[in-house]
Amino acid sequence: MRIRIEFLVVGLAAGIAIPTAAQAPMTTRDSARHVLNRLAYGATTDEVDQVIHEGVLKWVDRQLGFADVHDPALTTGEARFDVLHESNDDMQALLQKTQARNAQVQSIGDSVERQQAMDQLRAEQRGDRRSLAVLDNQLAALVVVRAVASDHQLDEILCDFWTNHFNVFINKGQDRAYFADYLEHTIRARALGRFEDLLLATARSPAMLFYLDQSESVADASATRMAPGGRRIAINGRPGFGRGRPLFPDPRPGVYPPPSGTGAAATATRQQVAPRAPRGLNENYARELMELHTLGVDGGYTQQDVINVARILTGWGIDRRDASFTFRAAAHDEDAKTVMGQPFDAGHGEDEGVRLLKMLATSPATMHHVSAQLCARFVNDVPPDGCIDDAVQAWKKSGGEIRDVVRAIIRSPDFWASANVQSKVKTPLEFVASAVRAVGGVPDSTPRLAQRVAQLGEPLFQHQTPDGYGERQEDWVNSGALLARMNFAVQLASGRVAGVAVDLDRVVSATDDHAALVTAVDHAILGGAMTAQTRQTILKELADVPDPRAARALAVGLAIGGPEFQRQ
Amino acid sequence: MPISRRAFMKAGGLALLSLGADPIFLDRAAYALGRSGRRIAGRKTLVCLFQRGAVDGLSMIVPAGDSWYWQERQRIALPKEQLIPLDGMFALHPRLAPLKPLWDQHNMAIVHAVGSPSTTRSHFDAQDYMESGTPDVKATPDGWANRYCAHAEEHANTPFRAVAFGPQLPRTLAGSAPSLAIDDLRTFGLRAAQAGGEQKLTRAFEELYQGAATGLVASSSAESFEAIQMLKSANPTSLPPSNGAVYSRTKLATSLSQIAQLIKADLGLQIAFVDVGGWDTHVNQGSDQGQLASRLDELSGALGAFTTDLGARMRDVVLITMSEFGRTVKENGTSGTDHGHGTAMMVLGGEVKGGQVYGRWPGLAPDQRYEGRDLAVTTDFRSVFSEVIQGHLGPIDVSQVFPGFAQPAKVGLFG
Repeated sequence: MRIRIEFLVVGLAAGIAIPTAAQAPMTTRDSARHVLNRLAYGATTDEVDQVIHEGVLKWVDRQLGFADVHDPALTTGEARFDVLHESNDDMQALLQKTQARNAQVQSIGDSVERQQAMDQLRAEQRGDRRSLAVLDNQLAALVVVRAVASDHQLDEILCDFWTNHFNVFINKGQDRAYFADYLEHTIRARALGRFEDLLLATARSPAMLFYLDQSESVADASATRMAPGGRRIAINGRPGFGRGRPLFPDPRPGVYPPPSGTGAAATATRQQVAPRAPRGLNENYARELMELHTLGVDGGYTQQDVINVARILTGWGIDRRDASFTFRAAAHDEDAKTVMGQPFDAGHGEDEGVRLLKMLATSPATMHHVSAQLCARFVNDVPPDGCIDDAVQAWKKSGGEIRDVVRAIIRSPDFWASANVQSKVKTPLEFVASAVRAVGGVPDSTPRLAQRVAQLGEPLFQHQTPDGYGERQEDWVNSGALLARMNFAVQLASGRVAGVAVDLDRVVSATDDHAALVTAVDHAILGGAMTAQTRQTILKELADVPDPRAARALAVGLAIGGPEFQRQ
Repeated sequence: MPISRRAFMKAGGLALLSLGADPIFLDRAAYALGRSGRRIAGRKTLVCLFQRGAVDGLSMIVPAGDSWYWQERQRIALPKEQLIPLDGMFALHPRLAPLKPLWDQHNMAIVHAVGSPSTTRSHFDAQDYMESGTPDVKATPDGWANRYCAHAEEHANTPFRAVAFGPQLPRTLAGSAPSLAIDDLRTFGLRAAQAGGEQKLTRAFEELYQGAATGLVASSSAESFEAIQMLKSANPTSLPPSNGAVYSRTKLATSLSQIAQLIKADLGLQIAFVDVGGWDTHVNQGSDQGQLASRLDELSGALGAFTTDLGARMRDVVLITMSEFGRTVKENGTSGTDHGHGTAMMVLGGEVKGGQVYGRWPGLAPDQRYEGRDLAVTTDFRSVFSEVIQGHLGPIDVSQVFPGFAQPAKVGLFG
């Protein structure tokens, strides 16, 4: 095995055609195109040539962060996004303001007046650069801008992967205020770091604590907890104490401190959110933690394990005052528990949750489950065992360093096997970003391009259920969506997609030599992967288009909307 | 003779599998083989209308005979004299007046105190459960209506068998059986900047996909072009409303008018899905005027136009309304209602045993309520869905559509 990989590496470095695991020849150009499809959002103009020039594996290592990636284009692009300068506190204040204003409008008695006020409010919010709606839209726009413009492409791909792996629905109540911090500081900061750190960070993030109701989970009445000084007391709905703070100081959710504005509006907001004190154990996070984030549904845990994990995590909550993680000792179940045969002795607090998360992060089932998902992303919708094994080996050896695991997957023969090349269908985000990159497009900072991604079926951060967006072709391919991709392609090629500036002159020269034009389009857009049938069809369609610029737009539109470009 | 999906799997599936083709592609290719592409006259159609946001069933179908309704809703109860009585117990919200003729003709039934066994009061969880058809099971990958299509009458597929009106396929229709998401029938297809350019683009892309597409992309694109072709020849959007029906310009009315066009054009529509929001009335819900009244106005206007338009064709159509849960019995401090449990569904159709409110009424007294605050659920929504499938679309083992739901209760909607 080692000899084979070394041979592969040497072969790629030397730029000669080498046999892959499936024994089909793969040229260096094929390899460069493949890594740009899988480890990046497609190739920009001449990028295939640049990667060949740099060396495919050198490029990969640079992307993995083993060498510097300079990113001037992205830095410039990001400067336009106000949302990057908002703190959790700012967002929290904005959410309260928004909720109070909504309640105020809703409390207008006359229906016509109320509708007018509502329309006015929406218009104000759209026009206000610091409204929550505008800032949350910016996050989606930012994803598209980064996918298009970042030089650190693999990092962006992994950010997308982890955002789905640790999915949070941005429009669930408080998460409108928590999500920006979650994306920027919880996920992005750790996308190529250690899995255990990422898991712990998501477990402590207000976004996740709120989304999966963990902040509402308190020890059942029969459980015990520790009073200051180590005395064990039964929990039974008494006023909270401990750490000098009431158990649940704030009515839930989102009205701490009480909103400003008229008394009626303030009351309205409080009523609207139906304050009720948490009453007991909530298993939501515990279950998804094991099923989705770590072990996998067949990871060998039982319903009793789910309950005991939930008990261990009681007390993990949100301090609404500064939108930060807090551990509420008074809500914690201090009795002894067992999770998957591992004893958790009585008398522990936050520390046993940390111990549990570390245990889950390093479990063999987790290594296998998460590695398989990474392989589904990078290799094939149905990932082969070989690359999963390679990933798990790297996981064990590195202690869960994500960059080592991903590197092992890329170095696995399965990654290069011809059966796995062009085998995956692009997600809507991958399709839009790769199309824009292919035509040298420059997105603006409006959410218009992100809205196109949504129209193709992937509204970013808006997957409601905790499983996140899928990785399989059947998640994305349906007849309406394919037509929408074709329409997008034609519009993009003729410069009619709002939110992105396209200059085809930088990509393909206009010419009335149709054969030369199609060859140039194949090179620039499809990296040389155009089939003979596609070439013939495009040539035929160009026959009655005398204008060179119109012919170029049509050829580019058909290439991007055609079947080859849907795959990666 | 139509070839069944299973027969195809048996005959050709194994050979393809050995070539590495994926099972989903096999499924879809088999559907394509079995598809007639011809029109299907008089096909039974089920229209699912989702009221997203949890409609207040107690305002929509008012339990006027329950004294607790009046006691708990001092401000939002409907004026007695405006209620439209249905029987000794229940009455329609006055803004549902366009539906009263349907009730009188026994073409409209109501199921009250219906809902999910799940106790969640989260909109998104509850919608998810109602669409997957598996309460409290989040891992279900597909929707109940898609599972129906995957298990019944697979020989009678057309591109328009299952259609959702909206930009995305709703969870109800997600899954391995083909289904279309259409935002607007009038713009479905390829668009060109120049007039007449659509045909050229359609031909070009169809040829591109026939030439170089593989797997699911190939079968789905074939479905697209087949749908465009069928739309072009049948031209359903040219069909004017019949019987003097007038649709308003709301999104809901437009979608229903296009569903009626697909039905009248005999394009093989079997399951249609449409949704409408605005039911989450926490504040100033209103009574005969106000937020909820406006929404119900829009709803009944669209439904009235739809049933008038289809006329005698309603014999082949059943429309059911659904919502993820109901709202609190007692009005809250801001003249609204909060997230509750049971609600009401309406079932419209020529073959429905209408003119009756179905389901056991649990009562609104505090000790009769769910958790002391909400209308209790006495009929599982899956019993209603099961009965509509069996009674209208045709016999099928509904455990394939609602896994884990052993015994649907008899509601009685179809006698």
